[in-house]
Amino acid sequence: MSRKTLNKTSKCRFCRMGVDEVNYKDIQNLVKLTTTQGKLFSRKRSGNCAHHQHSVKISIKRARFMGLLPYVT
Amino acid sequence: MRMYEGLFLIDNAHANMEWDTVVKHIQDILQKNGAEVLKTEKWGEKKLAYKVNGHKRGTYLIIHFNAKNTVLVTIKRDFQLSDYIIRSLIVKDDKIEDVSQIGIIEGPPEKEAEKIPEIPAIELLEESVEPVKATEGV
Repeated sequence: MSRKTLNKTSKCRFCRMGVDEVNYKDIQNLVKLTTTQGKLFSRKRSGNCAHHQHSVKISIKRARFMGLLPYVT
Repeated sequence: MRMYEGLFLIDNAHANMEWDTVVKHIQDILQKNGAEVLKTEKWGEKKLAYKVNGHKRGTYLIIHFNAKNTVLVTIKRDFQLSDYIIRSLIVKDDKIEDVSQIGIIEGPPEKEAEKIPEIPAIELLEESVEPVKATEGV
């Protein structure tokens, strides 16, 4: 009964923002999804849905290759 | 033909001295291989997250182009051989319809998301205030 009201807003931040695919140049958002060491937060911690967590994973790896994000700090 | 987005990390020594020749050099490589350059944009100079081939800083360049997928191998090899380019990344970019709308995202969507919940919160407060007044009157 109360489940519908609880799930009204999505847990995933990108679903709430209405983003289709996460861009690898959008560093401000990607930094929030990494630890101080530069590792990627788990899906449990970030709250992302499967689609966006997959998209974040790819874009962080692209940003790392181009020197926008660190591999290790 | 397919639309691609190329991000290039350019040596600062060349970028400061001869930016126009660097841009033309990259565009020539693309056009030589039969690609059609749609948009060229300078992203600016940035500090790198780690040392890339001994460079601490670099300038980024974004180019959108149409090309055949068979040509991409030779384009990538030409960029690797170039002296100006430290690193390059080419990504499929079919979802953008308008080339004029291509730009770098800088966080505004998140601010909008923060603003939206504020408005109902104020309405709720106003609603909650009114019944309190009524109870006070009684």
